[in-house]
Amino acid sequence: MNEETERVRDEFLAESQELVESLSRDLLLIDHGQKHNALDPDLVNAVFRGVHTLKGIAGMFGYGELSETAHVLEDLLDQIRLGKISLEQSTLDVLFEGVEVLQRLLGAVRGESHEVDVALFRDAVRSITSATKVATVDPLAAYDIGDDVLGVLTEYEEHRLRANAEQKNPLHRLRVRFPLSSIDSDLEAVKRRLKPVAEIITYLPSIEGSGDDAIELEVLLASRATIGELRTLAGTDAVETVRLRVPESRTVPPPRMTEDGDVFRRDSKPPQRTPTLPPAMIIPESSQRDMGAEGIAVRAVSKTVRVDITKLDHLMNLIGELGILKSSVGRVLERMGHHTEMRPISADLQRVHRSFERHLAALQDGLLDVRMVPIGQTFERLARAVRQVAREHGKEVRLVVNGGDTEIDKLIVEELIDPLLHLIRNAVGHGTELPQERLRLGKDPSAIIALNAYQKGNHVVIEVEDDGAGIDTKRVLARAVERDLVSADAARELDDHAIRQLVFLPGFSTANAVTDISGRGVGLDVVRTNIGRLGGVIDLHSTVGVGTKFTLTLPITLAIVNSLVMRVASHTFAIPLTVVQEALALSEYEQRVVDGREMITLRGQSLPIVRLASLFKLGTPPNPKAFVVVTALGQRRVGLVVDALEGQQDIVTKPLGKSLHRVRGFSGATDLGDQRVILVLDAPALLDEALENESPLAERRMTSGGTA
Amino acid sequence: MMERVLIVDDSAAMRHFLRASIERLGLAREIREASSGLEAMRVLPREPLDLLLVDVNMPDIHGLEVIRWVRASPAHAQLPVIVISSEASSKDRARGLTLGADAWLDKPFTDEQLDATVRAVIEKRRGAKTP
Amino acid sequence: MTRPRTPGLSPATLARRSESALARSEGVREYLVFRIGDDVMGLPLASVKEILKLAPITEVPRASSEVVGILSVRGRMTTILDLRRVLQLPDAPVARGARILLVEHGDEVLGLRVDSVTEVVRLLEKEIEPAVAIGGGLSEHVTGLGRPSNREGREESVIVLLDPVALLRS
Repeated sequence: MNEETERVRDEFLAESQELVESLSRDLLLIDHGQKHNALDPDLVNAVFRGVHTLKGIAGMFGYGELSETAHVLEDLLDQIRLGKISLEQSTLDVLFEGVEVLQRLLGAVRGESHEVDVALFRDAVRSITSATKVATVDPLAAYDIGDDVLGVLTEYEEHRLRANAEQKNPLHRLRVRFPLSSIDSDLEAVKRRLKPVAEIITYLPSIEGSGDDAIELEVLLASRATIGELRTLAGTDAVETVRLRVPESRTVPPPRMTEDGDVFRRDSKPPQRTPTLPPAMIIPESSQRDMGAEGIAVRAVSKTVRVDITKLDHLMNLIGELGILKSSVGRVLERMGHHTEMRPISADLQRVHRSFERHLAALQDGLLDVRMVPIGQTFERLARAVRQVAREHGKEVRLVVNGGDTEIDKLIVEELIDPLLHLIRNAVGHGTELPQERLRLGKDPSAIIALNAYQKGNHVVIEVEDDGAGIDTKRVLARAVERDLVSADAARELDDHAIRQLVFLPGFSTANAVTDISGRGVGLDVVRTNIGRLGGVIDLHSTVGVGTKFTLTLPITLAIVNSLVMRVASHTFAIPLTVVQEALALSEYEQRVVDGREMITLRGQSLPIVRLASLFKLGTPPNPKAFVVVTALGQRRVGLVVDALEGQQDIVTKPLGKSLHRVRGFSGATDLGDQRVILVLDAPALLDEALENESPLAERRMTSGGTA
Repeated sequence: MMERVLIVDDSAAMRHFLRASIERLGLAREIREASSGLEAMRVLPREPLDLLLVDVNMPDIHGLEVIRWVRASPAHAQLPVIVISSEASSKDRARGLTLGADAWLDKPFTDEQLDATVRAVIEKRRGAKTP
Repeated sequence: MTRPRTPGLSPATLARRSESALARSEGVREYLVFRIGDDVMGLPLASVKEILKLAPITEVPRASSEVVGILSVRGRMTTILDLRRVLQLPDAPVARGARILLVEHGDEVLGLRVDSVTEVVRLLEKEIEPAVAIGGGLSEHVTGLGRPSNREGREESVIVLLDPVALLRS
C-alpha cells in the first residue's frame, strides 16, 4: 500500500501545482478585466472552485496548513462571487498574495524551503471581510421560474441568477440534445458560441428527452441577445424566454420585454452602494489575446498527460545509451569492411544500421520536443512578480512580453525563474524611476519592462529590458572601489563597458538591497553563476537616462549535445560545439603577452588564449603543433589551446558526483562508447576563469581563486 | 461487499484517494470513476451500480444536478448516493438532501468515517447489513 | 569462505554463501575484509554496495589528491578514491588484484580503491575491540579492531575495522 500511497501523493502534488498555476493565470485575467471594466463572473467562480478543490484535497491528504489557508482564501472568494464584497484593487492584491502563499506552502510540502508568512495573509483577508452585508429585495421573484429549477441551483448559481435579474437581463431556457459519444465536445462548442453574448447559469439534465445514446440538457442562461441570435448560436430552435410573473408594487418595474426578447440599452453603472460586479459580460477579444487567449484554453477538455521530468530524463539517458551503442556498431561495421569476404553481409548490416540511425534520430527529436516548453509559462509567473514589486515601490510598470512561444528545455525553465525574478526586481526596484520623476524627464509615467525571447541557432536568447534610468558608471565605479572590489588604480583603466560589468562581482550589492521572492541571497553574481550552471551567459547593456538591457543566452537543451573531442597531453575532453566558433593551428598566429595574459590576433582582433595543459596543471611542455579552439559565449571569447582534435561526436553529459563539485571547469563527463570516459568542459566557467586570471582584478582575488 | 461503486469528482487526486480508501476498506469489488457530471451521466445508464459517491464542486454539471438526474430515472431511484464536499453552504447541503442524497460527507474525512457512512447508507436503502 | 573472482560479485551473494542466517542472530557483525599493502581492514558489509574489478579510471584535473578519477558504473559517473590516500598511508603502485568497493555516501555512491578483497568475516561482539588510540592517520576512521577467533588457517589475526561515514567525510 505504501507504493500506492506514494503515487497518489504525487498525483496530489501534481494536481495542486496545476491548480495553483491556473489560479495565477485566472487572477491575471481578472485583474486585466477589472481594469477595463469587463469582468467575467465565470472567472471569479473558477478561481473560487480551484481554491475550493485545493482545500479539499489538501485536507484529505493531511496538509492542514495548506488546507486551512485555502479555506481562508476560499471564504473571501465566496463572498466576492456572491457579490458581498466588491472586487477592488486592494481585494485583488490580497487574492494575489493568497495564491503566492499557497504556492509557497505547496513548495514546502515538496521539501523546498520557502519563507511563508501565513499570518500576515490572514490579517489582510480579515481586514477585507469585515464588510457589512446589504439587504436587497429579491428580484428573482419577478421571473416565472419553477421551484424544481430553483431547487437544484447551488447558492452561487442562485446568486448569479439574481444578479442578472437585478440588471434586468432576460432569462432564457434552451434545450439541447447531444449523442452520448460526443457530448463533451458538443457542449463545449455550444458554450463557446454562447459565451460572448450570454451568461450560462446552469445545466439541467432532463430525463424525458434523454435516451440510451443521447442526453438532453436544459440550459438556463441570461442574455440580452435576441431569441433569433440565441437560436442561431445554439444551433437549435428550442429556445424560450422565461416569462415574467405579475409584477409586485414593491419591486422595481418589470423589465420591458416584447415577444421575441428585445435587447434594451443600459449603460448606467450599478449604484456604488450595492457591491455587485460591473454589468458588461463580454470580454473584449483583444484583451484575451494579450493574455494569450488562455482564459478559454485553461478550461478546455485537456488532451495532455502530466509527466514527471525525471521519467523524461530516464528516457533521454536510454536514448543516449542507444546512441553510444549505435556508434559501437558503426565501429564494428568499419572493421568488417576490411574483410572482403564479409562484404555482402556487412553491406546488409550497413543498411539496417542506417535505418536504425534514422529512427534513433527521430526518437531523440521527439523526446527532446517533449521536454520543451514555451517560455511564455515562465513569463506569466513573472508577470505576477512585476505587479507586486511595482506596488511595493510605488512605481507604475507595464509588462510587455515578446516571443512567449519560444521553446526551451523544461529543466532550464525551472532554473530560470530565480535569476529572472532577480533581474526584474532590479529593473523595477532600482532601474525604474518613480512616476513623477519620469514625467519630469518627459517619459511616460508608466515604465515599460520588456521580456523578450527568441531563438538564435542552438541558443535561446532572453532579454530583460527596461526604459528606466540606466546604469550610472560613475556610481558603479565609486561603489566598487568603496567595496574594495577594484583598486583605485585599476579603476582608471576600465572603460564604460568594463565598469558596468562590475555589478556582477560578488559583494557588489548590499544587505539593504531587496531580497528576492524566495528569500534567498541577492547579487548579480548569483544570477550569473546560476545562468552559468545552465551553460549560458549573461550580458549587460545600458545607457544612462534611456534604459538597461540584460541579455541571457542559454542552450536550448541540456540533453544530447554535439561536441568536439580534443586531446590535451594524455587527457581527452569534450566541449559542446554550440560554444565553439572555430579551431585554428596555433603556429600560424603570432602570440603576444599583454598584461600577463597570452593573446593572439585573429582577424584584427585580440583573442586571449589559455593553455589547458597549464590551467589543468597537467605539466606538459608547450606543444608547437597545438590547436586553438576559439570558444565564445555572448560577447566573451577565449582560445583554448589543446594538443589534438579528435573529431565530433554526439554526447550525453552526465553529471559528476557531488564530491567533485568544487572542481572547476567541468560540467560533467560522458561515455564515448569504447569504454572511454571523458570529461566535458564547462565553457562558461572556463571563460570566467580564463578571463579573470591575470587581469587587473586578479590581484584582488588571487586568494579566493584556489581550486579544490 | 458491494459489486460496483461509481466515484464522480473532477480532481484526479481525490478520485484516486477515494479508490485507495475503498479498496483498503474492502467495500466494493469494482470501482468506476468519472471526472465530470457529464461522464457520470454516460456511465450511469450503462451499468448497474450499488453506490454513488459524487462531489458537489464540479464545473458545468455539478453534483446537485447529478443527484437530481439520478433520482429522476427509475433505474436509479433507489441508488444509495453520498455527496462529498468540503463544507458547502448549508443551503447547498439542504438542497442536496432534498434532492435525494442519502448522506453528506465533509472533506477531510477518515477511512472510518467513510466506512461508517457507507454502511449506514446501504443499510438505510437496502434494509440489510452489508458484509 | 569464498573469494570474489568476478567483478560485480555483490557482498550479498558472498554473505548468502556463508551461512548468512547466523548474521541475523544478535551480536554478530559482518565485515568485508580487504588489504592495503600489509594492512588488513574491514568495512561493515552492509555499507559495501558492490565490488568492481579495476577498470580504466579517467583522471580529473585539479581534483583533490585522494581522487583517482571517475568511472562509469552502469552509466553513472562515479568518483573513485584511493583508500591509501584517504587513510594517509604511503603511496604504492597499483596492485594487480586491486578492487573498487562501492560505498554510499549521502546520495552519492563513491568508489574506494583497495589492493585486494579477501573475504567476508563474521565477528561476534566479543571479538571486536573498540578503538584505542592507534596513532598515525588512522584513528578517526577506525571503529575498532576485530580479532576473529581461530577458524581453520586464518592468516589475519587483526582486522582494522573502518567507519565508512568518517572515512568519506573528507
